[in-house]
Amino acid sequence: MSSPASPSIEREIGPAPAPRVKLAFVVQRYGAGIAGGSEMHCRQLAERLASRHDITILTTCARDYVTWDNALPAGESVENGVRVRRFPVAHPRNLKAFADLSDEVFDDLGSSPDREEEWFRANGPDAPALLEHLRAHGKDYELVLFWAFRYAPSHFGLPLVADRAILLPTAEEDPAVDLQVLPEYFARPAGYLFLTPEEETLVSTRAGQRLQPSRVIGIGLEPERDPHPSRDILDGLGIPQDFVLYLGRVDRNKGCATLIEYFQEYSEAGGQTTLVLAGPSTLAIPAHPRIRALGYVEDAVRHALLSHARALVVPSPYESLSIVLLEGWNHGVPALVNAYCKVLQGQVRRADGGLYYRSSREFQETLSWLLSHEDSRRELGAQGLAYVDREYRWPTVLDRVESLLEEVSRRRSTAPA
Amino acid sequence: MPATEQVMSELQGRVRERVRSELVRHGASAALEDPALFAEIDALLRAAIERSQPSALLLPELLGDPSTWRLETAIKYQTHRGPAGAPIVFVKQRLLMPILRWFYEFNRDNFERQRRINQVLFACVQELAIETTRLRRELRELAGEPVDRT
Repeated sequence: MSSPASPSIEREIGPAPAPRVKLAFVVQRYGAGIAGGSEMHCRQLAERLASRHDITILTTCARDYVTWDNALPAGESVENGVRVRRFPVAHPRNLKAFADLSDEVFDDLGSSPDREEEWFRANGPDAPALLEHLRAHGKDYELVLFWAFRYAPSHFGLPLVADRAILLPTAEEDPAVDLQVLPEYFARPAGYLFLTPEEETLVSTRAGQRLQPSRVIGIGLEPERDPHPSRDILDGLGIPQDFVLYLGRVDRNKGCATLIEYFQEYSEAGGQTTLVLAGPSTLAIPAHPRIRALGYVEDAVRHALLSHARALVVPSPYESLSIVLLEGWNHGVPALVNAYCKVLQGQVRRADGGLYYRSSREFQETLSWLLSHEDSRRELGAQGLAYVDREYRWPTVLDRVESLLEEVSRRRSTAPA
Repeated sequence: MPATEQVMSELQGRVRERVRSELVRHGASAALEDPALFAEIDALLRAAIERSQPSALLLPELLGDPSTWRLETAIKYQTHRGPAGAPIVFVKQRLLMPILRWFYEFNRDNFERQRRINQVLFACVQELAIETTRLRRELRELAGEPVDRT
């Protein structure tokens, strides 16, 4: 990623019409090597806004999202042009206790608000000094942006500075969003940034009210510099000409077990393409002549796979924004997505960038159609790319963020003391 | 230029027709021989599934005390023996549970599936009750009988 002061980013955000604002970004982990979705979203926005606003990242010393072990030094640093303040995690996550507590609070019979608050504490990362900093110095920032409602820094930090807080919930349709304590929490911030219209609807529904002011911003993507790389690297791996791609962690929670099952049924019914799974796996992948599991792949392989795939399959039932779906479109590749995920189906319908399935039969029908209608397949991919050009280039995303920051600041300055 | 919804409508129609033919071939109601009727039934059930989140369901409100009917998938380590029961809780939580966790998780996954089926069935019944009530009202109106719309 280029530096925030680089000419390309200056071009993205254009001249600075708005005054420089002192902002804090609160996120559970932060750093160049940290791959989580909300963490990456926070870092990309921070690096692009740092040249025009005074930004401080308030985060923890954790790198590992499972244990929250302290791995990075506490204190202040400057990373890629952004000021970062890390606070130590008081204790690692107790996984067994957390699993038991999750069972309790997500049980249909429900549990008390106190137990739900305990769940947020157990989910962590528990960084008391970060919360103390917000308590003591939160008013020094004009606005404080919080990523990911489910983590302790956002859950316990936002109420400390609610009058200047902007929430990016990164909410999915999983059981956590139904917790009883959340409607009150979701109603507290001064503004909201959502990743998709579906996420906005989900959080507003749970809050029981329209959440304003807000913007749906998504994430920014750079145009592909080399949209048609050579196939050589794929030939070296023995990847056939005709393949569909799954890219990401090969995990049951990502819908991969169902994808593999549906694909085997598609093959048994005479389907000729190959499914390439590119990403580390937690599943036992069956030996099948038309399923290739590559494990973790380097960027060059990833790029070649995205450029030459006939379609990108996104089988996840839960997403707040699928970055890999946008990456596929950025390469002009049409998508085949799980229709039970409202975000994925909504994105595909808005873009006219692919098809969706609810069952094995629909999977077979849609995949067969894509592979037998070459012109339409290419056009769906091109429409996906046009959608990314329209909605997800950095200047567009940053304009939306800036307009929300301005609106919240204006409302605060005109609100009665 | 292909429109996703248009293509999906065509493909879903094909899948629906194949499913309908198979159901009829395997002895489903003769009513399903009508493709248009089957399409309406399919749409109605899909709409019910879309609206199967627990907070949108009426039947759970009518079933009474949840502890008498809801699937309880979480283990609560409790004792009625007060402080004297603490060692029992300790043995259950720290010694037995680690040994039995695999079995507990296997069962829990199955109970979760059953819970989802229950919710979908609740939603289907709710959707059918709405349809039936609407039809009943329309019949009353056609017969010139008064219909309460308060």
